[in-house]
Amino acid sequence: MRETVYDKIFKPKTYTLSNGKEVKQHASRMPFILLIVLFITIVSWEVTGVDLSMIRTRGYQFIVILLAMFPPNLNFMSNVWGPLFDTIQMSLLGSIAGALLAIPFALLSSSNIIRNQLLNGFFKLFLSILRTLPTLVTALIATFIFGLGTMAGTVAIFIFTLSYIGKLMYEHIENVDMGAFEAHESMGLSKVEAFRYAIVPDVMPTYLSVSLYAFEGNIRYAAILGYVGAGGVGLLLDERLGWRDYPSVGMVLLILMLVVFVIERISEYFRMKLT
Amino acid sequence: MTMIEFKNVTKTYPNGVKALNDVNLTIDQGEFVAIIGLSGAGKSTLIRCINRMHEINEGTLMVNDVDVGKLKGKQVRLFRRNIGMIFQSFNLVTRTSVINNVLISTVPDLAWWRKVLGLFPKEKKIDALEALDKVGILDKAYNRVDQLSGGQQQRVALARTIAQHPAIILADEPVASLDPVTAKVVMDDFKKINKETNMSILINIHHVELALEYADRVIGIRQGEVVYDGKSEAVTQEVLDQIYGSQAELPKMNDPEEAEV
Repeated sequence: MRETVYDKIFKPKTYTLSNGKEVKQHASRMPFILLIVLFITIVSWEVTGVDLSMIRTRGYQFIVILLAMFPPNLNFMSNVWGPLFDTIQMSLLGSIAGALLAIPFALLSSSNIIRNQLLNGFFKLFLSILRTLPTLVTALIATFIFGLGTMAGTVAIFIFTLSYIGKLMYEHIENVDMGAFEAHESMGLSKVEAFRYAIVPDVMPTYLSVSLYAFEGNIRYAAILGYVGAGGVGLLLDERLGWRDYPSVGMVLLILMLVVFVIERISEYFRMKLT
Repeated sequence: MTMIEFKNVTKTYPNGVKALNDVNLTIDQGEFVAIIGLSGAGKSTLIRCINRMHEINEGTLMVNDVDVGKLKGKQVRLFRRNIGMIFQSFNLVTRTSVINNVLISTVPDLAWWRKVLGLFPKEKKIDALEALDKVGILDKAYNRVDQLSGGQQQRVALARTIAQHPAIILADEPVASLDPVTAKVVMDDFKKINKETNMSILINIHHVELALEYADRVIGIRQGEVVYDGKSEAVTQEVLDQIYGSQAELPKMNDPEEAEV
């Protein structure tokens, strides 16, 4: 057993067997880690200037706005459907396209399939760069390229989905049992063929489940993309909030909640079936 | 007819371990060979060099008059299609049906749309079913692999190899994770294939009794070198001591070790 500095300070526990053999157990590192976490929490508290008294003095404003949304403006409902379908459409199209393109990206990023470290390092880096872009920023950039509207939102969601599913899938693929892949290679299959027949059946349930989950989340993302002009109900929310037309905001949120709830239930049902 | 020929073959791993040291062997078509030796002696390396799953560093390895070391890209894949391989952990795709596993060897010949959709032609399916029938698990053809026992899975792997119609079967510890009775059943299957189709069979095996009972020829490997090569009937206790080392040379088990907990 190698003795680190930590072991010198906190002595390992020693168990002595009746025949004199000794077994040592490292002292737990947990108290040390907890101390670091506590320290970081205090520092970030100070740096960000959290003021809990604000919650006490101004917290009721949450409720004021929520109350103003009731009763929701039912007459506004007819204005919601169009943007709502835009939102669902952006989310669906972006999710499907992103999920499909994530397959080759996950394949190329998996270090157990692509032995060339330069190649899979490049694709891993590419995926993580995509992931660091906040969806709102992507959408904003997309509106410069594709103009205001759903196209920009679809592209933003597509890019986010690609990076999200791509990352989750390559991590999953890297942990897959490579036995069948090896067997298929030993039978003269190419890497792509071996991937198709050995890895794909293994990761398929996870892939579908992750894709559905991404779609669920994307509906919520898509709802705010309108703020940067990328279409959907976000546009409507922005506009009505600006006019302090809270009953209409309430109507939009109510419908959005219902839609998200229904889609989540459906997606959950299928994800349960998959595992 | 000479099928496999090792000429002064040496294999060193990147970490400096010499797995094979100047190996010279000739194996004829239709031979049933058992390779025995301690774990880490180089048995796996030896058989994995034959189908180029491992590269050799020195010497030449001829298989069916082909210089294995000189093959490139697509040639390697074409060459491998003629060699079957069986693994200790079966290496099947567990989340799909038995027959889909047996059909794998036909994949390189399929049209691209069949690969995308995962469809196989009818005559290939019949061929796969016949392979399953040979190992006696035809009734499991449409079961998922993960519903099968270890012995059944190894026979699926064997059927997969039969459907490949190879000239050589390489088996890396095929019965090591099976119970003694199932192990015998699988070894019987190997013997049957060897007799009926004249395929050459090379088996890495830890069970000396099974090796002596089933194989015609035994090759003993010790620290990357061939220390015995002869008929299985001629293997004596002295030969085994030579291959495995006598008890005295085994590492001491009672070293005062500290456990990492």
